[in-house]
Amino acid sequence: MTINRKNIRRIRIFGALLTLLVAVQLAHADETCNSPYISGLIKGQEDFIHVWTLGVQGLGDGSDKLVTIDVNPASKSYGKVVASLSVGGRGEAHHMGFTDDRKFLWAGGLDDSKIYVFDVGSNPANPRLVRTISDLANKSGYIGPHTFYALPGRMLIGNLSNAADKGGVTGLALYNNKGTFIAKYAVPTAKVDGVQGDGYGYDIAVNPAKNVFLTSSFTGWQNYMRGLGEVVGDPQAMKRFGATMVVWDLKAVKPTQVLSVPGAPLEIRWALVPGQNWAITAAALTSKLWLIKQNEHGAWAAKEVGTIGDPAKIPLPVDISISADAKGLWVNTFMDGVTHYFDLSNPEKPTETYQKHTGRQVNMVSQSWDGKRVYITSSLLSKWDKIGADNEQVLRGFNWDGHALSQAFEVDFTKEGLGRPHHMKFTAKPSQQLAVTSLETGVR
Amino acid sequence: MRCPAWTRLLLLWVSASALGAVDPGAATAPRMEFKPPRPGTYQLQKIQPIADAALLDSAGRLQKLSTATTSKITLLTFFYTYCVDPLGCPFAHAVLSDLRGRLIRDARLAPQVRFVSVSLDPTTDTPATISRYGDFVSDHQKFEWQFLTARSVEQLLPVLDDFGQDVSVELAPDGTATRTLHHMLKLFLIDQNGVIREIYTLAYLQPEVIFNDIQTLVIESRNTAARNRLAQE
Repeated sequence: MTINRKNIRRIRIFGALLTLLVAVQLAHADETCNSPYISGLIKGQEDFIHVWTLGVQGLGDGSDKLVTIDVNPASKSYGKVVASLSVGGRGEAHHMGFTDDRKFLWAGGLDDSKIYVFDVGSNPANPRLVRTISDLANKSGYIGPHTFYALPGRMLIGNLSNAADKGGVTGLALYNNKGTFIAKYAVPTAKVDGVQGDGYGYDIAVNPAKNVFLTSSFTGWQNYMRGLGEVVGDPQAMKRFGATMVVWDLKAVKPTQVLSVPGAPLEIRWALVPGQNWAITAAALTSKLWLIKQNEHGAWAAKEVGTIGDPAKIPLPVDISISADAKGLWVNTFMDGVTHYFDLSNPEKPTETYQKHTGRQVNMVSQSWDGKRVYITSSLLSKWDKIGADNEQVLRGFNWDGHALSQAFEVDFTKEGLGRPHHMKFTAKPSQQLAVTSLETGVR
Repeated sequence: MRCPAWTRLLLLWVSASALGAVDPGAATAPRMEFKPPRPGTYQLQKIQPIADAALLDSAGRLQKLSTATTSKITLLTFFYTYCVDPLGCPFAHAVLSDLRGRLIRDARLAPQVRFVSVSLDPTTDTPATISRYGDFVSDHQKFEWQFLTARSVEQLLPVLDDFGQDVSVELAPDGTATRTLHHMLKLFLIDQNGVIREIYTLAYLQPEVIFNDIQTLVIESRNTAARNRLAQE
């Protein structure tokens, strides 16, 4: 068979997955917080961090953008921005997630509810925008796409709000990887298993071995697109925060339990170590760690297991990152700019063993699979970020030796004219053992 | 003497190992720490319709893919005959063999289901090769198990693209291609209308669950037919 240029290009479309390729036995694992269905675990040094960045009017082109930073210390461009891909508007860029083949990143706007699909598999150093999905509200009635959670061939999207009243009652939307809407699932507002649902949504976390996924709850568009000071000063607005988590049957996509978890439980992290049967979350408003654990009868229960900082000062824990062995947990508290480390050896009693002031405001925290590198970004929401000198907008990379964080590099997103950095995802260059080549060549 | 499916697959793996070296890593099958929901108590999502394509059957005849993915419930997977990863093709075929046993024990269910295995390597896996492989793996039991290949890589690629099935070639240290193809193990459950209704990967490749899903599609089809009859009356 002859291989012409067109054919080679087509082959590369598939072969580019080599950049992130792993043998199938790794398909059940991931870098601590992604969907367990995602292939391409990066167990070694990540090469790039993609940062979904909120545009700021008057700064650079003012658009939301996917910023790519070289984070390999062996690279000449280490710690530098190597690509910036604007989407041509500001829609409150927030979170993103890989498809199951890890070739594409889906990224959402909490305000305009647009979903952007970036190809990060073909050339991770230079992502391309390949699709914009604009029918979320029309198809599902939900707005504010937050969590993008890969299922095989599909993307399950956890939303924050609804198009009718822009409050916190919302649901999940399911698309196939080609961007076609499949189904929607309401977060329960009625009692389930005796506990009242509030209908609010935020994160999604799947545990295939248990046929279970969990969702958490935040607040609706009317609150997250309003100034934080106004929201806090409005007693009625403060009542409109989520206070539940929902246990779902994964196969049936049906709620089986509502768990009472007051104070807006946000990010959920499963301990995906075989034999473990628990997940952990942090409630933002109460500054508490909650354990969600299965009992001997198969039912799930939520239990408050720890305190983050001084809850009276409302430190606002906004993101968590669990270690691969589920024995450690990073927590970022936005208001005081502190990155905390909890020993999770006993998940019933997390113990804070380290903390460091990592910025004037800190939001997302992500760690490498080996736990040696920790990255933080600064922005929470465009209307909730601090103002004036405290409105520091950075990504900082740290090395973690098990005892202390030492800063390795910093990218100042304001000086670079980029915007407000929020969610981070890692990619890697093609392995030396796995290269873009043709199937035909490979089997001769 | 007829060997159990696992034994034959082990023999296949051992024989294939002579052809190419691969470190399979820690062999861990998917955990299943739950009781699957009963058939018919849930709905399977309509994930996507399958685009048609022209492939070759094991006799070398041109065959439309749609003839192998409609009119019956189909479990389709991609494979290559010399795959040695114990959690790759051999594992998929072991799961399929397990399922075939369950299906054959249900005389009403078995004729409604087929398996289809499509080669990822049309260059090596010629119709004659997949025919021999099919004879070996499917064991001539009274159950429809089709083995297909493509006329060329060029004609295979759109099929892989449509299914979202990644595949790539491992290189040796000197940069030359080896005989190891990497692909994320996926098993596609397709309804009678050629729509993908579930995709099983290693995280969720449990025969009990798949068997229940097949029965769920049968129940759905039966209910649809009953509704249509009522509508006509």
